[in-house]
Formats: sequence, C-alpha cells, structure tokens
Amino acid sequence: MIVSEIMITHLVTVTPDDSLSHAANLLRQHQFHHLPVVKPTHGLKPQGQQYTTHSSWPALEGLVTSHDIDLAATLGAENSHTNDQHPWQERRVAEVMNRSIMRVTPTTSVAAAAQMLVEQGLNCLPVVEYEEALNTEPGEQHDEHVFLVGLLTRSDLLIEFARTLGAFEPGMNLHIPLHTGNPTSLAKMLLLAAELHIKIESIIVAPPKKGVPHAATVRIGTINPAPLLVRLQQAGIPYSFADFQFEGGTHG
Amino acid sequence: MDDRPNLSRSRLAFDQGELAYDFGPEHPMKPQRLIALMDLLKTSELWKPDDKQCQLPIRAATIEELKLIHSEVYITAVQLLSVPEEIDAFRNEIETETTHIIMRELAEQYGFGEGDTPALPGMHDVSALITGGTLVALSAVMGLPEGGTFDSEDERPLHVFHPAGGLHHAQAERASGFCVYNDVSVAIARLLEEREAKVLYIDFDAHHGDGVQRSFYDDPRVMTISLHETGRYLFPGTGDVLEVGDGLGRGYSANIPLEPFTEDDSYIEAMNSLLPPLVISFAPDVIISNHGCDTHAWDPLTHLELTLSGIRAQMRLAHQLAHSYCEGRWVAVGGGGYDAYRVVPRAWSMLWAEISDQTLPEHLPEEWVQRWRPLWLKEAELEEEVQVALGKAPGVASFPTTFLDRREDFPAQSRRTTITRSNSRTVAFLRQLLLPSTVRKAFPSTQRISPMAGIFDLLHIRGSQTPSRIKTIESPAGPLLLRDFCPPSLVERLVPDSGLHAFARLPEREHQLLLNLAKSPDCALALAHTPEGEIVAQVTLAPGDDWWDGFENVYEVTIEVSSNWRRMGIAHKILDFALELDALEDMILFAMGLSWHWDTDNLKISVHRYRELIARLFGSQSFEEFATTEPDISMEPGNILLVRVGKNVDQLVVKRFLDRLLSTPHLARW
Repeated sequence: MIVSEIMITHLVTVTPDDSLSHAANLLRQHQFHHLPVVKPTHGLKPQGQQYTTHSSWPALEGLVTSHDIDLAATLGAENSHTNDQHPWQERRVAEVMNRSIMRVTPTTSVAAAAQMLVEQGLNCLPVVEYEEALNTEPGEQHDEHVFLVGLLTRSDLLIEFARTLGAFEPGMNLHIPLHTGNPTSLAKMLLLAAELHIKIESIIVAPPKKGVPHAATVRIGTINPAPLLVRLQQAGIPYSFADFQFEGGTHG
Repeated sequence: MDDRPNLSRSRLAFDQGELAYDFGPEHPMKPQRLIALMDLLKTSELWKPDDKQCQLPIRAATIEELKLIHSEVYITAVQLLSVPEEIDAFRNEIETETTHIIMRELAEQYGFGEGDTPALPGMHDVSALITGGTLVALSAVMGLPEGGTFDSEDERPLHVFHPAGGLHHAQAERASGFCVYNDVSVAIARLLEEREAKVLYIDFDAHHGDGVQRSFYDDPRVMTISLHETGRYLFPGTGDVLEVGDGLGRGYSANIPLEPFTEDDSYIEAMNSLLPPLVISFAPDVIISNHGCDTHAWDPLTHLELTLSGIRAQMRLAHQLAHSYCEGRWVAVGGGGYDAYRVVPRAWSMLWAEISDQTLPEHLPEEWVQRWRPLWLKEAELEEEVQVALGKAPGVASFPTTFLDRREDFPAQSRRTTITRSNSRTVAFLRQLLLPSTVRKAFPSTQRISPMAGIFDLLHIRGSQTPSRIKTIESPAGPLLLRDFCPPSLVERLVPDSGLHAFARLPEREHQLLLNLAKSPDCALALAHTPEGEIVAQVTLAPGDDWWDGFENVYEVTIEVSSNWRRMGIAHKILDFALELDALEDMILFAMGLSWHWDTDNLKISVHRYRELIARLFGSQSFEEFATTEPDISMEPGNILLVRVGKNVDQLVVKRFLDRLLSTPHLARW
C-alpha cells in the first residue's frame, strides 16, 4: 500500500503572510491540528480546494501546527507588558511555521510513512512531488520546486488500519491458528468459505509476537457462521471464535 | 372476551403473505418459525384467528415510503432482482447468460450474495409487505390515518405485535444479515414526516441493530438502544459503547455490548441498570422494541445463553416502560431467532401474552408438540453439531413441553464470574457516558447502604436540627417556602413548575426523578415551592458516584431552578438554606457544572458566561474551582468542577481527594 491511496487531497491551506488569527480560526473551524503553508498563487483560491491537476499544485513552504500557535499565544501573553511586539493574533504565519523537512511522496510505502511518523514523533506529513526547475543554468546550484499534493496524518493511518481490518463492513471475526506459520489450515478454511458463498472482508496474518501464537484473523461477511464452523470441525481445522477454541484434530 | 379487558387494545399484525420471506430450506431464517408461532397461538387459545378485535390488517409499503430510508437505486435493484431471470431475459430479449452475469453483479453490489441474503423472486413484494406491517402498526398506535380508522379512541390499539418485522440490519443502499428493507426505520421515518415525536427503539436481538442506528445516528428525535453480544467476534461487528450518535444526535444512540456466554442474571442486571434511566432521560412518546430471540441458549448463531426467563424479563420491562413513560404506546416486532421450533414460537407467544395481558399456561398444548416435534427431530442432530461448533455446551436434545425453560437444562457457564464482572464494567462505563449524574443517582445501579441510619443522621451528627425545616422567603414573584430533607410524601403532594426540566427534559419526569431522590436513603432533597405547591427549585445532596468511590464524606450538590423563576436570587437562597448543616465543615462537597444541561438558549448567554455564573453562585458558599480528569467534566472545556473542603476534614482525606481529582480514569473498559 502506498501513501497516495490513503492521503487527504482535500486541503485547507494558508500562506506565509496570513495572520495567526486567521490560521487559528481555520484550525478551530475545521477541527484540524495542522495547516500546510503554501506559496501564494495568482488570484484567490477557494478554501478546501481539491488539487487534482498538476498545474494546480501549490508550492509547499512549510507547516504550521496548533502547537506552534499555542506557543506564540502563550509567549505573547507573557511578554505583553514588556515589549512592543505585535499581539500574537497579528503575527504572520511565516514567523512561527516550520519548514517541514520531513516529507513523503505519493509513492512512499505506507509502512515507511508510519515508521517516520512514529520515530520522528510527528502527527502529520506533507505529501509532495518534486520537480526540477526548468530555468536553472548549467553549473548553478541544483534547484527544485516542491509541490504539495496531499497530507498524511496519524488519523488517516488509523482509519486505514481499521478499514483494513474490515471494521467498516458488517461481518464477524474468526481466528485460525497457523502451526509454525504453515498456511494450510487457512487455505483450507478459505476454500470452504468459497464453497459456502461466504464473503471474506479481510485477512490479517501478522508475524508471531512474544506470547502471541501465529494466527490468521479472518473477517467473514456473514451473520450465520454455523455451516462454516461445522465444516471446519469436520475437517479438523483448528479455529477460535467468541472465546471458544477448537483445537483441531481429525474426526470424520 | 369480557374477562380480558385490555385485549381489544392489543393487536397482532400478521399476513399470510409475509411467509413468502423465505430464503430456502437450508437458510436459518425459516418462515416455519412464524407458522409454528401462529399455530401455537391458536392451539393455546392465546389468540383467536376469527376475532377481528385482536388483529391489525396490514398493507405493503409504497415506493415513496421505502424511499424515506432506502435510496432509489437500491429499491430499483431489489425490484429487478425480484423478477425471475428467465422472465426478465424473455421480456428484454437478451440472452439468459448475459442476464445472469448482469444480475450477479447487481446482486453483489447491493449486498445480495449467495450467502446470507440471496436474491429471491418476489422479495421486493414480501419485503415491502413486512415494512408496511411495521409502518401500519406504528401509525395505528400513534393515531396516524395509515393505521386505520377505529370506531372510537378507546378502540385504537395501544400495543401492536408484528412478528415478521424487525429486519434491523438492512441499510440505505444494501441488504445485510437476512434483511432487505428496514421496516422499523421506514416506519419511524414515516411517523416523523407526519409529526414531531420522540421515538425510542429498543433492540433486544443478539445482534447489534446497526441498520436502525445508522438511519437515525444524527437525529435527536429517535433514541436507539441496542443490547447485543459484543461485536468483537459476532456479526455485524459494530455496536461498541462509544457509538453514541453524531452531531445533534450525540447521546441518542446507546449500545450495550455484552460478553459471549452472558446468561440471564448478568443480562437482566445490565438491562435494568441502563434501560429505565435512559428512557426517563429521553422521555419518548412511543416505544418500538425488537424481540429477536436469538439471545436464547439454543440459538445456532450466537452465544448470549439466555433462557426464556431472561427473554421474558425483556418483554416485561418494555411493557412496563411503555406504560410508565409513553401512556402505553408500544410496537413490538419479531427480529431474529433461529431455533425455529423450540424457541421462536414459545418466546413470541409469551410476548403476545405479555402484550395482551394474558396469563401464560404452564404447558404447551399436546397437539402442538405432536405437530412440531417431528420437524425438530429431523434437524436435531445437525443442531447439536452446530452448538458444538459454536463452542457451546451441547444442549439437552429434547423438545420442550412447557412455555418456560427448565432451569436444569441450562448448566452454569464456567467463566460466569469473569463474564459478569466484565459486563458490570461495561455498564458502569455506559452510565458514566450516557446518563446525567442526577438521573444516575435516582437510579442507583447497586443499592448502597449508608453506614449510618440515613443521610439525615449523617448530616446532623450533633443532633440539633429538626427534620425538614421550613423557611419562607420573599421573591419578586411572591413568597416561596424552602424545605430541606423533603420526604417522599411531601414530594408526591407537590407539582413541578413547567420550567423544571433541566435533567429529565419534561417536568413530569423531573417530578418522578425528585420522588426517586426523596425515596433514596442516601440523598437529601431541598425544595423551594410556592404556597400553591409548585416546585420551582431544588438542591440535592447525594454521595459521589463511582468515580469518588472510597470516600465516605464526599457529597455532590446539584441545583436546579425552574426557567420561569430565574434571575430572582432563588438559587443563592436555596443553596444557602440547603447547606445549613451541622456537619458542613466535616464534609467535602462538590458540584459539577456540565454545559449540556445548561439552559443557555433561554437565558441568551454564552456557555462561558454561564460557567462564571455557576462559579459565582457556588463561590458564595466558599466553593472553589478545581481542575480534574473526571470523565464528565473533562469531556468539554465549558464544564466546571467546584469543591468545598470543610475545615474539620482530615488532611489525609483531603490529600487523597485531591489525588483522586487528577487520577487516570479507572473505569477500564476491558
């Protein structure tokens, strides 16, 4: 799975010259925690624009988070009586945003993006496309444009995780223990499901973890598991369902 | 019929046409279950086929009515799939093979695989008929013209039972879990189109009532409550406690997921500690209940392991709630239930007996047993195999001869203690999540006995006060009497002012709430009422709930002033009066300001302004604001916790209390 499959492309952006109060309002209004900062383009762009075509991608300047604004507001309040700085609401986005060096591209694998989020302690990654500038002279320093094409947040990852587990489809969960990782019992179970016209919503086979035996979790789209379970017992395929564990072994 | 006074106001909606809802002999949802039911009703003489007084004729729902819930394309797809392929191919002059492929794709797209809900010839008609049945039933009870005309208001049905209804999994654009059209959703939507009403849907089926919940997830006019086996394993997988509704409908969906192998006692306990308080705080006009009896231990699809005693408790509670809160308006629908011969006929005959106030005979009619036992015998062996495959103890392979189950046929589950505890935790969490604290107090989950004789003695340790003091105060709108420690007898004589509805939303229910508080040995109730006997304000002192467990002298103070009597300084006066206690300095008092109870619209002030008002009101009694992680308070920034620590309270207790304020929520979920 790659980033472009799960990223958000319906973006709300600010420009470096926007005021912090504008940014704070957007964050509150949309209940976001991050706003990408993009280079102003000619003409007014409506908010929440979907950037679909290449020509409409804006150039990425950075990222401003609710945390950045909180910090600016707190410091502003503390220093209000001593210096002549503008109130925080009037400061520019450019003053507090970060340049957001951590980025991914639409083809980055979701696993790599997840690792990046966790290891760097981030909640959000801009998804960008790079394009070499056409007007650079040979020998001049390598220059490239960075275009913002989407945003990937932890929530997107979690929702995708739940979707992968089949949580959004009506169905029920069945565990098939895999003895030393041998997928035979899973394969047999799937054949039986196909024979009984039972839809498979998701299959997860995770590598064994300490204390957790190797098993497949299969989400099947049926309200009536009995015919499948009876067949599993007849075939001696071990499974567990609703706290009950059938150990397997053949009889019949 | 004279010996059954209420029978004429209870009706059964059943049409032979509904038996066509048949997915084939192998399918668990057999029309035989309804045939066996009707046969049992007739042979046991609980229902007379020739008595028009206990029947409600039904009609099919129209396309327009179905469109209130289902999308037009879905309805069209169902209609297309209802026509046998050969006819369709013939009519459209295309090859059978092509039609087959098109139909297969169409079926897949809209949830009609070959598994649970196969597409069947004629299914549109029969599904529309079933939907119409529930629609007519609800309309009749609510007095809409669709429900038919009756000679007089006294003949209008009060309770209707529609056994074929309850297809609660059907979604707007998809068939699911044996359900094509969502009859309950359509019926409710039709009612709401006609008039404003508050509708309560209670789903006792072992599976989560996902379709109905989804239809009204953001609609505060419809509260859905579903008790079901947890979706951790079981179909459809939804129905978690945190599904509480969305937008305006937040708080109007309640889900009570129970552990597999729950059994009667734990089930009844969970049901009783959640349903009545939820119903009183919603104040519905009508109740629709789904009596899916797949909760029974013999059911081949689920693991809730109830017996018919547990199932009867559901029916009795629904009946009682309908009479207590909805003037009796109650529609019951069938729902799931897949032990077609041993469970469904008995369970739903029992439901009809409950609805029509008839006494259930002990034994099943011999004639009925003779007729249906052989049919069960044919499947008994397979049934046993299924029970084993589901992980249930093999049941007794016998056909029942009594309406109720025999206790000895249902041995206790091995993990009963663990399961009961786990369910109690779920219930405690839900009570925190869904019930206002006043309602929670009025319906305690466990009857806590004060260490001393009663709250009065506790609060008057020096024994200097007389019970229930009276004080007269002057207000701009006339004199008011203040009374503390109001006994139930006094509360019964008083009536609530029309503006007294902050916690139970309607003055009558608020009155009921006050009465419950007065009856509780743990609560002290102070009232302000007019000389004419109208309650205009109340202050309650009650022990802190589960969150404050472990403190003996921590009491919560709640205050409410009728919306017609605001801005007259009554709140200050009654609070001052209620807190004139001997033991005041020996106690820690706290008050929780929860912004969702605040009548900010009426007062035309912001939440934050209201918050200040409350802080100032309690500040006058030396309460101070404290930060806390208490789940209700931390749910919204507008909420506020105010605490008054008495001067004589032991410093260790104070420290423990302050620690508790910021402790991690200890209501671990599982």
